[in-house]
Amino acid sequence: MLRIEGLSAGYSAKPVLNDVSINVGAGQFVAIVGPNGAGKTTLFKTISGIVKPSGGAITFDGVDLLAVPPPQRAHLGIAHVPEGRQVFPSLTVMENLEMGAITESGRRDWQANIERIFEWLPVLKERRGQFAGTMSGGQQQMLAIGRGLASSPKLLMLDEPSMGLAPSTADFIFERLIEIRRQSGLTMLLVEQRVAEALESADHGYVLEAGHVVLEGNNATLRADDRVRKAYLGM
Amino acid sequence: MEAFLQALAAGLLIGAVYGLMCVGLGLIFGVMRVINFAHGDFMMLGMYTAFYLFTAAGVQAMFGNTVGPFISILLAGPVLAVFGYFVHRTLISHVSGTRIASLEGEGHYAQLILTLGIALILQNGGLIVFGSVLASIRTPLSSSAWELVPFFDISIFLNKARSIDAIVSLAIMILLSLLITRTRIGKSLRAAADNPTAATYMGIDVDRAHRTAFALGCGITAIAGGLLATNYPFHPFVGLEYVIVMYAGVVLGGMGSIIGAFWGGMTIGLVQQMSTLILPTQLQNAAIFAVFLLIIFFRPQGFFGRMVERT
Repeated sequence: MLRIEGLSAGYSAKPVLNDVSINVGAGQFVAIVGPNGAGKTTLFKTISGIVKPSGGAITFDGVDLLAVPPPQRAHLGIAHVPEGRQVFPSLTVMENLEMGAITESGRRDWQANIERIFEWLPVLKERRGQFAGTMSGGQQQMLAIGRGLASSPKLLMLDEPSMGLAPSTADFIFERLIEIRRQSGLTMLLVEQRVAEALESADHGYVLEAGHVVLEGNNATLRADDRVRKAYLGM
Repeated sequence: MEAFLQALAAGLLIGAVYGLMCVGLGLIFGVMRVINFAHGDFMMLGMYTAFYLFTAAGVQAMFGNTVGPFISILLAGPVLAVFGYFVHRTLISHVSGTRIASLEGEGHYAQLILTLGIALILQNGGLIVFGSVLASIRTPLSSSAWELVPFFDISIFLNKARSIDAIVSLAIMILLSLLITRTRIGKSLRAAADNPTAATYMGIDVDRAHRTAFALGCGITAIAGGLLATNYPFHPFVGLEYVIVMYAGVVLGGMGSIIGAFWGGMTIGLVQQMSTLILPTQLQNAAIFAVFLLIIFFRPQGFFGRMVERT
């Protein structure tokens, strides 16, 4: 579904991504793990068009994504749940969800989507009239996920959903993501620093270090890999 | 007592028009974070557009002297909105929106120079095209009044033109707030203002949202200008007199709050008129800024601004 080939990108002269190739098949849950500054967020920003790549190709559903203007990419079916949540603080929860549903498919499926989102993330239903900026970090993260789901995406990209959250809240978010995946069969691409949880939830993984893919494999292989165990899982 | 009520009424009437004028600027600042120094001159263009629509384009002949001016004023809004749309497309969009990432100081220096340049061109171009003679949009209503008798021995006079100006302002303000709070376009404007990057992730074209806001802001201020012109004569440099008031109103309302800008403008109108009760008329503007400083001293974020925001 998403095919990234030989991608290089960076800010002005400083390269962040170096010849990165990643494949996400339809229905897969892929995790990209790695330390701070490995280029994970830059990778997502390049997919969404906020960062311009210096080389390589990205195709989504057979479409050359780099030829599509950034605001149009959401309309192809890519939902980006950004790092640090980035909900719209002066909009209510409901209005935030409506913004997620601004794509054609989101508008068409609005009624069904909103029911499912409220079922998966009931806190959003309770607080639908509240301004998003006044909610806690965990609630904002759930809103950011709900907002992504509201667009009826083909691919849900999650950038560090656990960032800045209490461990129990982060666990709850992961548990919700697994449940959402189980019920909807949605294709997901996750970027995480919490390697153990990420590899546990996903069925395929990539390890990104200093802009390079250093390791890839299904979750069993990665979790059995000595380097991963030592460096990330603390075993 | 009578003088107080009279000044209060006059303040409310002029305040509504000032409020509308400030909202035009507040919309542009709130959505785009661009400080538009040329906004007073867009208003001047709106005044002349209404003037020429009325006198030269046949509105006077068709609708007469009473209704005609207001029709011309309302028509000047869309004309200036289209003008603003093209100014944004050809000039402002190069130093704002998604391009600011590649500019020094997030494009603020370039925006400053550009909008000041546009202001100079409009002022001096206006002088060449319109001349320096004072113009005004006269209606017989400008020199007649309704008498209001709230109590037995007190009567206050409401200038008819100013009353209609205030009603038109309020009506437009209500339509605008419905647009901003209820419609998909309005909500996406607010989303683009809150977080342009996240808005792009949602599929909102931020540059187009900015263009919409700029066009709307120009159109609204043009109408406010036309309404003012039914009572105050104008000239090509009139924008300078009002742009300060506009900024004061936007800051009072709370930078970034669109509805707040209206109340900021309203406050300025009230202070301006009430100050005449105790101060000589020449000190009207001084009174505005004394009150302005006082309010900002106690409430630096303005009436509707937010001090801190969780992200």
